Amino acid sequence: MNLGLLRYRYLFEQMVRRELRQKYKGSALGVLWYLVNPLILTGAYTLMFGLVLKPFRNIQDYSMFVLIGIIVWTFFSQSLTSAAPSLLDQSALVRRVRFPRETIPAAVVTVQLATFLALIGLVTPVAIGVRGTLRPALLLLPLMLVALYLFALGLGLVVSVLHAHFRDVAPILGAVLLPWFFVTPIFFRTSQAPGVSHRHWLGSLLTWANPVAPFIDAVRSILYAGRVPGAATLIYVLTAALISVVGGLWLFRRLERELAVLL
Amino acid sequence: MKLEPGEIVLEHASRAFSVRADQGRTLKGLLIGRRRGGVEPPPVQALRDVSMRVGAGETVGIVGRNGAGKSSTLGVLAGIVPLDSGRSGCGGRVVTLLELGAGFGRDFSGRENIYLNGALHGFTQSEIEQRIDRIIDFSELGHFIDVPVRTYSSGMFVRLGFSIAAYLDADVLLIDEVLAVGDEGFQRKCLRRISERIAAGATIVLVSHDPGAIERVCDRVVVLEAGAVVYDGSTAEGLLFYHRLIGTLDASPQDARRPDTTAPLHVSGLELRDSGDRRSQIFHSGQSARIVLSLQAQPGFSQATAAVALELRDEHGSTVFRTRGEPELRDGRADVAYEIERLALLGGDYDLAVAVADQQQFARVTSFSVAHEPGAEGIADLRGSWKELAASDRAPTLPTP
Repeated sequence: MNLGLLRYRYLFEQMVRRELRQKYKGSALGVLWYLVNPLILTGAYTLMFGLVLKPFRNIQDYSMFVLIGIIVWTFFSQSLTSAAPSLLDQSALVRRVRFPRETIPAAVVTVQLATFLALIGLVTPVAIGVRGTLRPALLLLPLMLVALYLFALGLGLVVSVLHAHFRDVAPILGAVLLPWFFVTPIFFRTSQAPGVSHRHWLGSLLTWANPVAPFIDAVRSILYAGRVPGAATLIYVLTAALISVVGGLWLFRRLERELAVLL
Repeated sequence: MKLEPGEIVLEHASRAFSVRADQGRTLKGLLIGRRRGGVEPPPVQALRDVSMRVGAGETVGIVGRNGAGKSSTLGVLAGIVPLDSGRSGCGGRVVTLLELGAGFGRDFSGRENIYLNGALHGFTQSEIEQRIDRIIDFSELGHFIDVPVRTYSSGMFVRLGFSIAAYLDADVLLIDEVLAVGDEGFQRKCLRRISERIAAGATIVLVSHDPGAIERVCDRVVVLEAGAVVYDGSTAEGLLFYHRLIGTLDASPQDARRPDTTAPLHVSGLELRDSGDRRSQIFHSGQSARIVLSLQAQPGFSQATAAVALELRDEHGSTVFRTRGEPELRDGRADVAYEIERLALLGGDYDLAVAVADQQQFARVTSFSVAHEPGAEGIADLRGSWKELAASDRAPTLPTP
């Protein structure tokens, strides 16, 4: 970003620390809570789709397959839902001091990243053990995580500043994220979905129209399949990250002028 | 606009605010609101074509009635409120003290809040570390600096907030009304610190209702009325203009905070001391405290004793406690202490007023703060414990109506 932000990097650090501390204040399990949630979800999906309904019986190690999708999705959705009200929550600061307002949503998304990285750090060795994916492709994982962070950061900036202007952005987001979860290939593999085999357009739609899908696909092919993601996926992921962060910053800068008056 | 550090420029600045009970816009409001545009009240013009140029090292006081645009002007100068038209700019590093408590995370200690506040103003960790000892010293918060700020009284907040702003070494210091809170000793110290900043070449813009503070600090006054500059010039003239404007030219009531040394008997010294007999303005509930007083009589004063009254008031001005004493005078003066074994007050800010002899008015007022503590609220510290009773000890059953 620009030099102004560089000068305020200590502020950014302080805000992240403050958020982290408030988030884990008074919880004995701390960061472990954030592992419990995806594990429970994974358990439920494994039970329903892996054992009861069995539509994806040909996916090996279905739990690991689902778990990776869930933690990527959780990072994405949590980033947006916590970024949306962030400017409003910090209105006291915005109204009284001049500092780059981007720091507020950026700090919130970064706190989510910290949790996400902790989960990835726990899941990666297990995935390597279960799936034998200690392959060169693993070297691409950091790049994918950076891209995912930038993607979430850009959208986080957008929803935070929009919510400051229009207070119904957060509820709309809440309403959209659940159906979004179900069309995202988290508990299924698009190519093997029963309804997609004779409707290729539907498969393409699910794969490419949903910007989260390629991110999950990329992380999953590295951790679960041990393969370098396809070229199309890689290009998509990097482009989406770039567009999101540049566009998000551009929109934020355009809409932030009146923040002190609006909040 | 290229400005020297400390320079401030406002050119034809105008700004209007729309007044709506519900500030938040919704998408629905945006879609429907267009069709019934007539419902919305007309916007309030907070600033109309305001122009001023302040050179580095100047000290400007902004006065005006409520709603005259004082705070908007500061908001614009601080770069927080954008203008509808015109230009504004401050050169160099700007530190704002607009409202207290900005950036104060409630669960964070005073020390952590110093770091957060410094960071908000664009300072790096090492820049803050260079200043933190002076900030803590100035605040006189002592060991309270490492206590979460949720236990602070508002007087303690003022101390912390002002100390931070005063020691960040800004080129431009924008201060809104905050000096009005806090005790007298600290206010005087703040004004002294402001003079130091002025001597070091900082530019200061002070918005205040207190003409006294403006008079002591500023060499230039801007009077705002309905968003426009109606006077810009020397302080003495400016304050006169302001008093005429608001119709309070007649003598203001006697300032109880300054001693009347011509009275037959006056309070020449007043100090609060803590359990370690150190001067302090901040106390714990249940601590011991001493009120140290010096009384001075005029040569012709005939009585052998001096009648004094102490009155303690809470932050709303209600009397919490009042007592009298008659210390003996020796060679025309008396030095006494009123000793409080256990300060049975809960967290808050208190005023202590001292009156002497025949005077109706209280001659001296000082303020102090008590830190908040868990387990009780209010003024009086009657904290006790709950105990289970044996059957024989039970309260008699109340008759049922």
